Amino acid sequence: MTVGIHAVGAYAPRRRTTAEEFEAAWGSFDAPGIEQTAVPDADEDALTMGWEAATRALDAADATASSVDYLAFASTTPPLAEEDLTVRLGSLLGIPDDATRHVFTGSTRAGTRALAAAFDAAPDRGLVVVADCPRGEPHDAREHAAGAGAAAFVVGPDAPVQVRDRAERTKPYPGTRFRETGSDTVDGIDAGTYDRNAFTRPLAAAVDAVDLGDVDAAAVQMPDGKAPYRAAGAMGLDADTIAAAETVSSLGDTAAASVPLGIATALDDGAERLLAASWGSGAGADALVFERGREVPVALDTDGDEEVSYATYLRLRGEITAEEPDGGGAYVSVPTWHRSLPQRHRLVAGRCPDCGAYTFPPEGACRGCDSLVEFERVALPGAGTVEAATEIGAGGAPPEFAELQSRSGAFGVAIVAFDTEDDETATAPAMVVDDAAVGDRVETVQRRVYTQEGVSRYGFKVRRAE
Amino acid sequence: MTDAYVVGAGQSDYGSFPDESYRSLFRTAFEDAVESVPDGMDPDRIDEAVVGTLGVGGRQLGLSGPAVTEHVGLHGVPTTRVENACAASGYAVRQAVQAVKSGMADVVLAGGVEVMTDASGDAVRYWLGVSGETEWERLSGTTFAGVYAQMASAHMREHGTTREQLSQVAVKNHANGAKNPHAQLGFECSLEDAMSAPTVAEPLTLYHCCPTTDGAAAALVVSEDVVDEFTDDPIRVAGVGASSDRVGLFQRETYSGVPASRRAAEAAYEASGYGPDDLDFAEVHDCFAIAELMAYEDIGLCEPGEAGAFVESGATKLGGETPVNTSGGLKSKGHPIGATGAGQVVEAFEQLSGHAGDRQVDDPSVGLTHNVGGSGGAAVVHVLEREGVAR
Repeated sequence: MTVGIHAVGAYAPRRRTTAEEFEAAWGSFDAPGIEQTAVPDADEDALTMGWEAATRALDAADATASSVDYLAFASTTPPLAEEDLTVRLGSLLGIPDDATRHVFTGSTRAGTRALAAAFDAAPDRGLVVVADCPRGEPHDAREHAAGAGAAAFVVGPDAPVQVRDRAERTKPYPGTRFRETGSDTVDGIDAGTYDRNAFTRPLAAAVDAVDLGDVDAAAVQMPDGKAPYRAAGAMGLDADTIAAAETVSSLGDTAAASVPLGIATALDDGAERLLAASWGSGAGADALVFERGREVPVALDTDGDEEVSYATYLRLRGEITAEEPDGGGAYVSVPTWHRSLPQRHRLVAGRCPDCGAYTFPPEGACRGCDSLVEFERVALPGAGTVEAATEIGAGGAPPEFAELQSRSGAFGVAIVAFDTEDDETATAPAMVVDDAAVGDRVETVQRRVYTQEGVSRYGFKVRRAE
Repeated sequence: MTDAYVVGAGQSDYGSFPDESYRSLFRTAFEDAVESVPDGMDPDRIDEAVVGTLGVGGRQLGLSGPAVTEHVGLHGVPTTRVENACAASGYAVRQAVQAVKSGMADVVLAGGVEVMTDASGDAVRYWLGVSGETEWERLSGTTFAGVYAQMASAHMREHGTTREQLSQVAVKNHANGAKNPHAQLGFECSLEDAMSAPTVAEPLTLYHCCPTTDGAAAALVVSEDVVDEFTDDPIRVAGVGASSDRVGLFQRETYSGVPASRRAAEAAYEASGYGPDDLDFAEVHDCFAIAELMAYEDIGLCEPGEAGAFVESGATKLGGETPVNTSGGLKSKGHPIGATGAGQVVEAFEQLSGHAGDRQVDDPSVGLTHNVGGSGGAAVVHVLEREGVAR
């Protein structure tokens, strides 16, 4: 096998809630081995988190999106049950429309299945994006454990990290973890020993089928902080090896992204030989053994920087908040939105061939010379300076953003002068993630803007540059 | 080309009137305007009508002009509805002036109406955003207040303008509005009230923002040929200026001023032969406190960047060098979107006629009205004078 991993990117939302917060609210915290969980912002989902990880992986690989010829997206929580989300993800990233695309879902093994399929496909430059944000009913242990995160891998020939062996095994065990059609929340029968067997036996069989060798880290499926350690003995692993690739204690259960985030963490820590052992209900397991031949670039952005109370957590997850008002919001038809995708997704502005000024969006008369010209279309890098800003306080949001504000509170809106390759700037209005003041440097991030007629619209917002 | 004159102007009370309709409010304004004509006017003399309204609530979006003129008995009179957001009826007055000056009409009714308070909070929030640029500006999450707050942020950054100076606009306009029986918020407010009110959109507090309002206003514009039939003390439209701009703030050349206002004022001054120093008062578009400060600069009452210090100096108070918004302005008198521009002309007419009661400016001869649509996508300025008295 010559195809391997060239670079890794990982992302987790910045907000965290803690075991203590759950304990204060419920009297107990039912997800052992978890100290805190990552909580997505109200406008984040698996697609936007995937974009975050993918941009970091491409940057780490020093690769352009236009060079990608294979794109895979894996998640148990795709924002839509039906629609090929690799098309939107590809548009957000700028991946060519002739790239091969695959979606993997329906199992927490989806992330490793996507990696295995990419290794089989042997693309020149593949991008495997795994993002997840599982949910359970608020009272349920699976919700106490639920976290969020994403990892992305640039895959191709002559890679620094090679796959040395791999295997998969299944054992029929229904009922251990499932999500019914139409439901947002995972469930399970909680049958003690049966559940433990359902978890351990496929994993042990898959690991038994590979040449494990002397692994110094093992990224094992982490539905909570206890399950992988319970299965360690059956896999012939010790607790330290599992701890070397564990993310569940600080991110929570990241479902299909659990093992991919473990791989990212272990490679970042310098692991030389690594086991990736994922589990999915049904039940089945993948085992992949990686070996690092030389340095592999890893861009991790998984640290939390804000702890939130349980009440804030419930708001962010939309458990106790308002929905979009009956009156509806500003009507922007899907075809209208579609025409603006190059701007929403990739900040494509128009440069005037006569005066050199930039117009955003690139339509109508040039804002520099008022001439009706054919603009030269230029994708801007996405960094800029805030020129005017305010914060829309509680209750003040337009109806289309009432639900967002109910969930995540006041938000900023700014006019940003975006950098161009010339001395000129291109100005555009943007919602602000967190906050930014006049004069601050900001960068674009992709978020869900709003949903109308059932269609979620994704586009850029800005966040203060680090 | 004939001159145009305002011989009558009137308005309904501004406020929240669940028992009134847009038509009944317009009727009140119409009757008040007709009654204000010094030597009387038979409504049959009206040749043409122009009605400004945005149509908040969507109650009568099509043919909203004829819907109010037929209601007041102007059956058969050619009527046009003008939509230029908050500058709708300022532009209606301008069109009346154009109709008279073109010679096509001798007597034109220019009015406006809006009903904004009878809808649900969510519906009002929807309608308040319809005059911003929809696809990009609004979908960045901003609101009407949000866009002006962005302008305030830029003005503060560029010129050091303070929240206290913004608050002084509110204090002044409420002091004036308390003297106006038509005002919606006819009470005084202290600097402390304005400073400590809840934030609507940083840095704007509740007292830096105008209310939503029901109301109507109307003016009667006539030609030189017939003006003597209606008054011995004619008030001439000495100059009109108007301008448009890009609808989205982010597309403009500046965020700390309103270029359309500046261009409209320059044109109105040039047409009238007057300049800012000649004004005895001005009614300016203060939908937000920052809008009044920018208006000082845009219409030339002070140098660019000095509006904060200018309001602080007291120059724009009643009794000051150039009293601004003696009616209470949009802030205290109220802002029924489609009626606002015509309502400013009502105040100018009352001031120049000497009928402004407790808020009367001492013997004024020249006044200005300044009406802005949206955050500056349209602006219109009128300079009015008492003929034979001015200069």
